[in-house]
Amino acid sequence: MKRAGFATRWLPILLLLPQLAIIAVFFYWPAAHAVKSSFYLEDPFGFGSSFVGFDNYIHLTGSSEYGRIAKFTVLFTVLVTFFSLALALLLAVKADNVIRGAKTYRTLLMWVYAVAPPVAGFIGLLMFNQSWGPLTELAKSIGWDFKLGVNFNDTAFAMVLVSVWKQVPVNFIFFLSGLQSIPKSVREAALIDAKSSFRRFWDVTFPLLAPTGFFLLIINITYALFDTFGVVDTLVKGEPGNNPMTLVYKVYVDGFRGNDMGGSSAQSVILMVLVLALTVFQFRLVERRIHYT
Amino acid sequence: MKNIAISSAAALSMLANTAFAETEITWWHGMGGALGETVNQIAEGFNASQDDYTITPVFKGTYEETLTAGIAAFRAGEQPNIMQVFDAGAATVIAAQGATVPVQDLLEANGVDFDITDYISGVRYFYADADGKMIGMPFNSSSPIMYYNVQALEAAGVTPPVTWEEFETVTAPALKDAGYTAMAQSHLPWIFVENFMSRNDLPFATNNNGYDGAEGTEILVNIEPLKAHFTALTEWQDAGYFEWFGTGWGDNQTPFEEGEVAIWFGSSGSFGGLSQKDLGFDFSATYLPYWEAVTTEPKQTFIGGAALFAMSGKSDEENAAASAFFEYLTSPEVQYMWHRETGYVPITTAAYEMATADGHYDRFPAAETGILQLSLDASENTRGYRMGFYVQIRDVMNREFGRILTGETSVDDAFDAIEAESNELLARFAQTQN
Amino acid sequence: MTETTHIPVAKRPVKWGRVMDHSILILGSLFMLVPLLMVLQTTTTTDLETIKNGPEFVIGDRFDDNFMAAMFKASGFSGENTGLRMLINSLILGIGFAIGKIVIGMMAAYALVYFRLRFATLAFWLIFTTLLLPLEVRILPSYEIAQQLGLLNTYTGLIVPLIASATATFFFRQFFRSVPEELVEAARIDGAGPVKFFIDILMPLSQTMIAAMFIIMFVYGWNQYLWPTMVTTEEGMYTLVRGIKQLTQDLEGTNIPEYGRANMLALIAILPPVLVVIIFQSWFVKGLTESDK
Repeated sequence: MKRAGFATRWLPILLLLPQLAIIAVFFYWPAAHAVKSSFYLEDPFGFGSSFVGFDNYIHLTGSSEYGRIAKFTVLFTVLVTFFSLALALLLAVKADNVIRGAKTYRTLLMWVYAVAPPVAGFIGLLMFNQSWGPLTELAKSIGWDFKLGVNFNDTAFAMVLVSVWKQVPVNFIFFLSGLQSIPKSVREAALIDAKSSFRRFWDVTFPLLAPTGFFLLIINITYALFDTFGVVDTLVKGEPGNNPMTLVYKVYVDGFRGNDMGGSSAQSVILMVLVLALTVFQFRLVERRIHYT
Repeated sequence: MKNIAISSAAALSMLANTAFAETEITWWHGMGGALGETVNQIAEGFNASQDDYTITPVFKGTYEETLTAGIAAFRAGEQPNIMQVFDAGAATVIAAQGATVPVQDLLEANGVDFDITDYISGVRYFYADADGKMIGMPFNSSSPIMYYNVQALEAAGVTPPVTWEEFETVTAPALKDAGYTAMAQSHLPWIFVENFMSRNDLPFATNNNGYDGAEGTEILVNIEPLKAHFTALTEWQDAGYFEWFGTGWGDNQTPFEEGEVAIWFGSSGSFGGLSQKDLGFDFSATYLPYWEAVTTEPKQTFIGGAALFAMSGKSDEENAAASAFFEYLTSPEVQYMWHRETGYVPITTAAYEMATADGHYDRFPAAETGILQLSLDASENTRGYRMGFYVQIRDVMNREFGRILTGETSVDDAFDAIEAESNELLARFAQTQN
Repeated sequence: MTETTHIPVAKRPVKWGRVMDHSILILGSLFMLVPLLMVLQTTTTTDLETIKNGPEFVIGDRFDDNFMAAMFKASGFSGENTGLRMLINSLILGIGFAIGKIVIGMMAAYALVYFRLRFATLAFWLIFTTLLLPLEVRILPSYEIAQQLGLLNTYTGLIVPLIASATATFFFRQFFRSVPEELVEAARIDGAGPVKFFIDILMPLSQTMIAAMFIIMFVYGWNQYLWPTMVTTEEGMYTLVRGIKQLTQDLEGTNIPEYGRANMLALIAILPPVLVVIIFQSWFVKGLTESDK
């Protein structure tokens, strides 16, 4: 924590007030509501309900399907986070290298950032259409009988690809600005010390990019866990069937689509706990490892 | 602050009420694209037809989004006057008895003659209660029917199969020899479970298909005839008679449109889309086949699609407006227009007769198939079904059927899983009703 | 000014490294942009052709028709929800959300970093617990609250509940903590109070961060779908992403969705955020690089 600081009493409270008020009304109140309804089975219109204790949770932990979805969510999050960061880093390093056309590349690579997740999913459907999708045809030409919506793994592949496609630009922008903020003196020193460009990158550039990297890691994990909702929903065409899905989508399927208030609330609570644990973990890690100069 | 805002808003709305003599009602629906435009056309027609009431239709997203938005609004006291609810969501809204005013009561209370036998047989009871009182007004009603490529069947030298036995031994092999995939379908739970039960005269759930109440209702899908049907599907898949393209509706319809698949099971409502696409062949339609091994007296099917519910908690004037709208909606002229424009079936016999007299079915014979199938012999198994959390039950079915058809599970295991998970969902739903 | 770093590479007769760099960047740009170009192509052909054949190497003549329909034809009952109207609503949502988030987040982060508060830890955790839980999983209670506060069909109701998470606060906190402590010391020695320090020193320093946040938040708000669908029933309040969904929705194959018009609307929906990204990116990339020299 910062040692230096102001001692004024009322000002910080005033500054915090709007934030606290909004989250109290639109976060904690609904969250408390979710915790409460996770112990009930409730008619969605609010006419009947039974207190069922931990039944909703027991039901979930006993469900092999829920376990399957949890596993897929972890895998999906790891893949999307890794590939969108790696691809963006590669492109950012290259864009930082070249002089001619650097600006053009930068502009070209940023377009997709603005695509809404449902629209990204919609474009994914276009690319992977079963009868004429350009990517389906491409897969066929290398002997891969790609079937979106039929084959579990193919659908999962499409979900990862579309999610990565949508996320690369934002990572690219941040990596590029991170790279360009590395002082010239450091770069020159590195040139003299390190022989291969790969070593130079690994020993000098990469550590300097770490703060940006951690910042992006959080954004990307959040994105993969939650904001890909629209992509998943569009790619399964609104009918989950035997397709892969993520935990957040499952909350939506049972609660929003299926009106199972108790069951979906229990899932929300489980997610909240997981996310809280993840947040605490990230803070510990970030605070310990990263030094802001 | 808040109170002042609310009371001034109330004052404003009172002013608005006195300023306009017309009673305004709202109608939330889930019909996008061209369907939504036809919905708007109906609303405009109603508003122009009289001076007392104005209806405003509002598009609220998919069926599921519409229902959930309606539920949230109801809990907050902001419900629309009329809400569209789809077949799988019917149990939720009908079970919540205080949430809606049964349309039959609404119409009778406002002095409109109501006789359920005016409606086409297969349409009457899907949204009715155990006593046969109509709760929701069927709106976009469709039934699964069998479309076929006329040239393909001619080339193979066969006629549309009447039974699944005929399909298996005669139609499919001939179509395969003629270079076609014999069959595809667009909605497994709806076509090959729900209406399979109705067509083959099998009970779908205990408690009178669930109509007698949620308590103790259990699904009856783990039965030999149904398992035999899905076993046959996997065999047909291996033999090249059947192909499954996932849960997406259009993905299964496209191969039929492209002339690769000769027979496609879709909705009677799909007629509209098919006829707009100037296909490279003639298509026609007929009834769903049945298994002779299961029954020799096949029955009618019931409707899918969605119905309109009058939400409770509204003033008498607004209810009168809703009643007037339902009366307008069920008039033969409007029903025929809806039928002609969209391909959905007209819900009353009078509208059907008007369409017949106008020569609609001479021009488009396939448009009549759904109505005829809905008018076949009825039995206690053909009214429909009433199961809570049915959206999730369909999800479970879709998931397990997908796994069967991709070879991830066996038919026996899949139906065990469907039975167990569905009954668990039904028991949980029963608990929400206390 | 980075040429000097590449002198060793320049000594080689053929700059294979440079060729590699450009190839990777070109491939990356194609990966990002080709799908968008395909969407653009489908706005020039008839819907029937798109449904039958997908994207092709043909430029049709429907571009103008689809553009006019997307921009000026209302798809609702009242005739109010033209593309233009939805564009304005999306703009209000995006800008209002971004500004609200930045203002509230900066204030709260400032209070957390620069003041000694007795309940600082509590406030910290209260705020950061909200970091990752999206609105989708608490949407029903949120709706009830919005209704009770009379916020349905208002821009406030559209924007404020979405602000109830602490992403911006988190990023500003991380950023403020990286600001050298000497600055605060110096300010205090100069006799500057907390407000003066915030406005005169912290605000200018945060310019790049504000720009980055604005981009992220604007796009996030712009792309919302589920909450706007819930909270608006008046067609004059519809947003673009919702309008796209309305055009493409088709039940049981009863009609041919207007793909040309919907895809055009999708492209129109991409443009404003892309412009924001392109305009602001040069500002904040430059800002970040310069601040380190």
